[in-house]
Amino acid sequence: MTKAIASSNRASFVVVVLVSLGAGLLIWQLAVSFTHIPSYILPSPKSVWAALADGLTRSPTERASFWFHLIDTLRATVFGFLIGATLGIFFAACMAEYWLVEVAALPYVVGLQSLPKVAIAPLLVIWLGYGSGSKVAMAAVLTLFPVLINAMAGFRSTPRDRLELMSALNASRLQVFRYIRFPGALPMIFAGLNIGIVYAMLGTIVSEFTGAQRGMGVIMTQMQSVSDTAGVFAALVVLGCTGYVLISIMRLAQRWAVFWSESTRREIDQ
Amino acid sequence: MSSLQNAATPRVCAEPEVKVPVLSVRAIDKRFKTKSGDEIHALNKISVDLADGEFVSVLGPSGCGKTTLLKILAGIVPPSGGTLLYRGTAISGPQAGMGVVFQSSVLLPWWTVLDNVLLPIRVLKLDLTSYRQKARELLRLVGLEGFENSYPGELSGGMQQRAAIVRGLIHDPGILLMDEPFGALDAMTRERMNVELQRIWLSTRKTVFFITHSVSEAVFLSDRVLVMSARPGSLVENVRVSFPRPRNADLMSTAEFGDLTRHLRHVLGGSGAVHD
Repeated sequence: MTKAIASSNRASFVVVVLVSLGAGLLIWQLAVSFTHIPSYILPSPKSVWAALADGLTRSPTERASFWFHLIDTLRATVFGFLIGATLGIFFAACMAEYWLVEVAALPYVVGLQSLPKVAIAPLLVIWLGYGSGSKVAMAAVLTLFPVLINAMAGFRSTPRDRLELMSALNASRLQVFRYIRFPGALPMIFAGLNIGIVYAMLGTIVSEFTGAQRGMGVIMTQMQSVSDTAGVFAALVVLGCTGYVLISIMRLAQRWAVFWSESTRREIDQ
Repeated sequence: MSSLQNAATPRVCAEPEVKVPVLSVRAIDKRFKTKSGDEIHALNKISVDLADGEFVSVLGPSGCGKTTLLKILAGIVPPSGGTLLYRGTAISGPQAGMGVVFQSSVLLPWWTVLDNVLLPIRVLKLDLTSYRQKARELLRLVGLEGFENSYPGELSGGMQQRAAIVRGLIHDPGILLMDEPFGALDAMTRERMNVELQRIWLSTRKTVFFITHSVSEAVFLSDRVLVMSARPGSLVENVRVSFPRPRNADLMSTAEFGDLTRHLRHVLGGSGAVHD
């Protein structure tokens, strides 16, 4: 019975989403047809679709292909994310475990946190050049902070009775971390990682705007310079879909790693 | 000086029949400072010996320091004064010879029941494969057969606490310290758990140090019941309970049981609080 309700909910969910999307596209098409907004300001859905199809059907070796650029953007996003997430968790663990590390790191963390971090993109290009290095670095920096802050909070919120249980067993600091603190912090770490993956792509694109040889940010600035607005729209659709896939993969990882947490179950059910 | 003493005490005069207590608590004192800077005298020169295989309960009003005493015995909290002897040797800090069961089960939600129960084996770096078999046997003993691969969230409160008892027993400690393990359970489950615990105790014969604020639970389970006074906690009564075992729930309605609980309630009442 409840299953039937759930599945009918799911069906109406899909219907509403599709109708909403269709209505949006229709309004967009009508706005373009019945007003005199020039196509370099607002291209029609049809021309965006054409640009999308063109960009996606070209051979990935062509510079005009979306795949040619997307592969580079995706690679920088994923590597940057992995580096930033690893460093974030590692620093958080050191800071949560050792008072000295925390206090010593505090001015840097606060300083960097108050900084709009994308503003260091030009600096990274100077240091690391126009290749993948500066993109990966930007993605890593943007991933690092949400992961660090959330992981710290997670390590800190270890329930006292679990620590006493380990203390009664004379567990070493490493054992307490491995068996208690780290797994207990995973829900919080995943909260940070979910933000981090979005930030990683953001960092990559910003870095590509600043200067790079390949990437979705590069092709978008090229399209902008020739007023190919439909192309820019198509690139945005590609980025949106890519972001959705990345977030979905994170959710799957979360469900696998933190299946036991009440908050995960609630979040994923939504 | 000790050599002189040895020389003066020939072996034949030693008393081989006198057993060394598993745990000797000697004049344990605990004072601590509150955040506002006041000093609290929590425990006042507590002394007690636990014999091998003895089930000893501690009764006392809320806030008398029962839990603090247990944490000191477990080595989680350092005493301000006094000594602990484990099988005749002075100890400080946590010992592998002790198993602890807390008020809440403290099972880790990311591990199965079996993995949770094996936590002490991992921490003490003992051989996991051989203890896995033992864990299954103990889980069967407490009636959790078939739940080895369940997660704690899937178990009832009573089952969780039984898993916690197995975790306390898995590394074969000399003493099991239990801090109001059934305090969070409803009355019916609690009564059933008392019968269960007696069964487990009869088949393992561990020395148990059991903290509770239920008089009937203490009398039902124990060989000896200690009563602690209100703060600063000190031992004010020490009653031997000699009902034959196995005891069943009917015992609780006998006159002897009633006399004993009435006496203990009276002592508790005189110590500053009345309990069930």
